[in-house]
Amino acid sequence: MTADWFPLFLSLRVAVLATLVTVATGLPLAWLLARRRFPGRGVLETAVVLPLVLPPTVLGYYLLVLISRGGPLGGLFDRIGIELAFTWRAAVIAAWVGSYGMFVKAAQGGLELVDSKLEQAARTLGRSEWSVFWLVTLPLAWRSVLAGSIVSFCRSLGDFGITLMVAGSIPHLTQTMPLAIYDRVQANQLAEANRMSLVVVGLVSILLLGVSRFARVRL
Amino acid sequence: MALALIAAGPAPAAASATDTLTVFAASDLALAFTEIAPRFERVHGTAVRLVFGSTGNLVLQVRHGAPADVIFAANISFIDQLASDGLAAPGSRRLYARGRIVLATKSAALRALQLRDLVGPAIRRFAIANPEHAPYGMAAKQALESEGIWDRLQPKIVFAENIRQALQFLQAGAVDAAIVALSVAKDPEVRYTLIEEKSHQPLDQAVAVLKSSKRRALAGDFVAFVLGATGREIMTRYGFIVPK
Amino acid sequence: MLELSIRKAVGNFSLDVAWTSREEVVALFGASGAGKSLTLQCLAGLARPDSGRISLDGRVLFDHQGRINVPPQRRHLGYVFQGYALFPHLTVEDNVTFGLAKRSDLERHRRAAELLDRLGLAALAKRKPAELSGGQQQRVALARALAPDPPLLLLDEPLSALDAPLRRQLREDLGALIRSYVRAAVVVTHDLTDAFQLADRIIVYDRGRVVQAGLREEVFANPASEQVARLLGFRNVFRGRAGSVEAGLVSITWPGGVLRSPLPPTQTDRLTAGRELTFFIRPEHIRLVRKDRPRPLNPINLLAGRIVDRVDMGATFALRLAVEGERDSETELLEIDVSRLVYYLLRLDRDELWEVTIQPSAIQLVADPGSPAPGSNCKILT
Repeated sequence: MTADWFPLFLSLRVAVLATLVTVATGLPLAWLLARRRFPGRGVLETAVVLPLVLPPTVLGYYLLVLISRGGPLGGLFDRIGIELAFTWRAAVIAAWVGSYGMFVKAAQGGLELVDSKLEQAARTLGRSEWSVFWLVTLPLAWRSVLAGSIVSFCRSLGDFGITLMVAGSIPHLTQTMPLAIYDRVQANQLAEANRMSLVVVGLVSILLLGVSRFARVRL
Repeated sequence: MALALIAAGPAPAAASATDTLTVFAASDLALAFTEIAPRFERVHGTAVRLVFGSTGNLVLQVRHGAPADVIFAANISFIDQLASDGLAAPGSRRLYARGRIVLATKSAALRALQLRDLVGPAIRRFAIANPEHAPYGMAAKQALESEGIWDRLQPKIVFAENIRQALQFLQAGAVDAAIVALSVAKDPEVRYTLIEEKSHQPLDQAVAVLKSSKRRALAGDFVAFVLGATGREIMTRYGFIVPK
Repeated sequence: MLELSIRKAVGNFSLDVAWTSREEVVALFGASGAGKSLTLQCLAGLARPDSGRISLDGRVLFDHQGRINVPPQRRHLGYVFQGYALFPHLTVEDNVTFGLAKRSDLERHRRAAELLDRLGLAALAKRKPAELSGGQQQRVALARALAPDPPLLLLDEPLSALDAPLRRQLREDLGALIRSYVRAAVVVTHDLTDAFQLADRIIVYDRGRVVQAGLREEVFANPASEQVARLLGFRNVFRGRAGSVEAGLVSITWPGGVLRSPLPPTQTDRLTAGRELTFFIRPEHIRLVRKDRPRPLNPINLLAGRIVDRVDMGATFALRLAVEGERDSETELLEIDVSRLVYYLLRLDRDELWEVTIQPSAIQLVADPGSPAPGSNCKILT
């Protein structure tokens, strides 16, 4: 039986997209949590961590209700002709929900370590808030942000429960690697399941090893 | 860099979505449909995508908008529900087969088993599909209840997601026996005994084309193919009883 | 002209200060936690006062009532942070040009070179802050703040992180640098010598309030209250009662005896007999009566006592003399500084009983603690 490469490429695509969304939305949030005090801050922090500790099926269920065509979000998109549930988009959403909190926590930690006096100095020198972030804060926190992104990427790659609920395990459409492996196991195609698993383990290992080496060797 | 690598991979099936028929099928049809689908593809020249699972799960997904064109359930009631909820294309509900359950073990292991033997010490654990959402699981429970041993066997039962998984548990050696569909038990590794039809509700299996499908005509063709000469021959070979 | 009047509450601490200064160096002097750094941050826009007004050369930087609060980016003030706050990931040159974003590359390079050269840092342009010594870092911080050519420079404890010899040297350099580059500066410091050497005007802070503001010499010569005297590090601060005035000298009755001190012209009307007052005696002006020489004929302000404590300060010794009071139960401790030479010459390590004389001019009267201290929380001082 020839190897099926689709699940791997689907998973990679999904994970990359989910990670991009995670960083784009998570970085401002991490900055907000690191730098500002405001009412309701505790609620926001809890909301960020919640998806990491809730059972995936619970998350998956509520997400499904949200994005299926009859749901509030799904209905909105349906009106502009975009399907969410049971498409690759749902897989991206599932991966994003499951890994978002990891990134925010890592990035927040890194940003908090940056001495706020440096940011203040930058302000007195006439730099806008945006410049302060890009030229001072981020360059000093890049390691945490990168580590958070990689961890979040690996988590996105491996999501199972949430993806299964909202995207289904439709072969060659939404069947990501973890779902494909599960399917092979169910069908007792153990050699194939094993091959696929090794690919995932190998990929993730290389990534994590690379991060720890790279981030530590520098300076 | 990573993006280029990913872009180079096989294009998502979404590109060919307009031509592909998505068939949701109960797990007991795994072996049979894996033979039928390629034949249909060759005859009609269109691709078929098979998605297997327990009937209950498949129906749930369909209710939430899963992109199935046609759904082959492992009983009638689920299909009737879809019809009464207005999700089925009118007039597409058909009976397409009746299934049988068997008590299976690994051939290398014990001698042919009867249901009663499950109580004995030789069987530490056995698997059935989850009766909540798998009709074959329901039938297994009914059969055990008829035998009067359902309650006594509680500590030994392992619920699988569907009969495919139940069988896999057996093949992996995680359980000593399993009650699965006849249609999937035709495996060289597996030895089985038929369970009497009287001991459970008949496993009449129905199919419906979904109203939301964009390929209703094609779906109808597939149903016709399954009920046609080629389909019936393959189904019978896998132990299904097909309607006249 | 810098005008500042602000109030701010932070937890249990409340800041309520008002002062002004013209083109000169002003030192905010006081103990840690007095509110000096907080004032500086409010000046820079890094902290927001609860109410009040700040204006520089007629330009309003903050006005609570008028709802004006210019963000720090647009105040155009130079700020040298305590600890310097140099950007660790940028070179010295990039640090210095950080505030020059809107200028051309050529101009930035030129300006950086000019400042680095003037501050003796030219060779270090491409290094990172971590590779520099404390004194070099301080100069880089200075260069960075001065590069955009601000009208006002703010410095928070610019010398506290440095060791003594470096401090001394940089103190002089700093003063000259500030005056040659900016029109005005505000320096926060808890070190008396820093304040005295760097500033034209001193504003004394104590627990969130200004207790005296005035020209440097004036503040040191006439501390406004006992509290200020203590803050300025004066020793031998005592309370006494005024007596009669004779030949321009007022007599002060004190548990340690009777002393005579010149009457400051500004206080003639206030020092009625019997009035309570505070005075201090400079330790270095107390003379021991030498036992190996004939006794002076008319010793003025003669006190006798016993040395009860000796502290070796390196170049000098600090002695504590317990002065016998009129009543046996009362003693006052007088601090005396003697040089090492004198200490060993007069055998002060062994000989305990001594008499001292004090020049009348060494006794300084502090303003009556009951009256308001001149310069505190008021706008302009002569």
